[in-house]
Amino acid sequence: MDDSDAATARQPRVHLRPGSLRDAAPGTLHLLPCEVLATRAAPVERFFTPAIRRGPDGLRASFRGRSLRGEEVAVPSGFVGFVMATEGPGAGLPDPEPPQRDEPPERGWDHRAAATASFGRFTLWGLEAVPGPDARVRGALGWPSLAAAIHAPVAEG
Amino acid sequence: MELGELQRDNTGRCRVSSPVPALCRQEPCALGVDEAGRGPVLGPMVYAICYCPLSHLAELEALKVADSKTLSESERERLFAKINQDGDAVGWALDILSPNLISTSMLGRVKYNLNSLSHDTATGLIQYALDQGVHVTQVFVDTVGSPESYQKRLQQSFPGIEVTVKAKADALYPVVSAASICAKVARDQAVRDWQFLETLEDLDTDYGSGYPNDPKTKAWLRKYVEPVFGFPQFVRFSWSTAQSILEKEAEGVTWEDTPTEEAEGARSIRSYFSQEGPRPRLPHRYFQERGLEVATTL
Repeated sequence: MDDSDAATARQPRVHLRPGSLRDAAPGTLHLLPCEVLATRAAPVERFFTPAIRRGPDGLRASFRGRSLRGEEVAVPSGFVGFVMATEGPGAGLPDPEPPQRDEPPERGWDHRAAATASFGRFTLWGLEAVPGPDARVRGALGWPSLAAAIHAPVAEG
Repeated sequence: MELGELQRDNTGRCRVSSPVPALCRQEPCALGVDEAGRGPVLGPMVYAICYCPLSHLAELEALKVADSKTLSESERERLFAKINQDGDAVGWALDILSPNLISTSMLGRVKYNLNSLSHDTATGLIQYALDQGVHVTQVFVDTVGSPESYQKRLQQSFPGIEVTVKAKADALYPVVSAASICAKVARDQAVRDWQFLETLEDLDTDYGSGYPNDPKTKAWLRKYVEPVFGFPQFVRFSWSTAQSILEKEAEGVTWEDTPTEEAEGARSIRSYFSQEGPRPRLPHRYFQERGLEVATTL
């Protein structure tokens, strides 16, 4: 992480509470093929979850009267999914717990972040059809394994 | 009427039928088609066929099943019971299209309008009777849209059968009146016993007639609009009444096939060029193809 000092100085620094990664409860994630133009709490358990049908050809549901087809997608092996939220006034997180021993002092950090949920899989939804093998999301999930090879130390000689 | 199958899963379509009377396999039959619940913004649309040997049409006529729209709900149920009692000669079959199926059909990537959905459902039921061995020689249909083109379409699907499509056929032909009673009884029952998929707090089932012009129905829709999900699946999202309430009272949602305004496109391009600092290099094709870019906002 030896980026240039200038860049580091300009960019706000976020401290992630390590404890929150250990304690994050499992979460349920759906990736919808549409954008809801607001970020807010929603009664997913009351409206969406009961509408999901599991058939021989995958998952079916509907959202806003449109038909969705879905499939569960696993997080790449060797990785874990986390839902993170920044802490601070108005961030919607509970007050940070008293600092733990494994956490560095507060000074020097612009924000604090914490994991609020963890996941090993998520449900990928497409409009009327499950997103195909060429879907961007599936491609993006292939990046970590390639990145590991690219950033691996080069053997000498 | 046994609609248990509908109550178990009311997100798609559901077919319910009487056993085929043996007589209907032997003798030439007349078949009537009618529908109930085409206009309401709430609940399912029901298609019904009723068939009977030509030699027994007089019995159907004697039931005075005509003019079903003027009958009360209890009178229709009484007549349906009579049609059912006449099981030696009269058979029926229903196709119940859930409001969710109507919504998803009409709001699909490829628009499938209500007339096409109606016509295909009617054709499907006639074919079902033929597949069951009913000796259909005449079909009478209460029209949806223009009778001429509908008749032509049905005649092409069933070249060996005499097809008659007419407005007000439910008042003219007893088999259509009987079909109309089957459809209405099923629709009433489906709406009355609707199993809401969603967990709704203090569910108020006093939604009036379900027609868009009913003030009670409109008030119910406004009460049950949910900012993210919109409505329960009992509502036909494709109805303009439902859509205009969503536009005003629910969060906006954009889909990949949502038409974008040109102004928005222009703004996003400008903002790309006017970004502070050095102009970002375009990422390598590998990343572009996967929608990946370097995080700058966290």
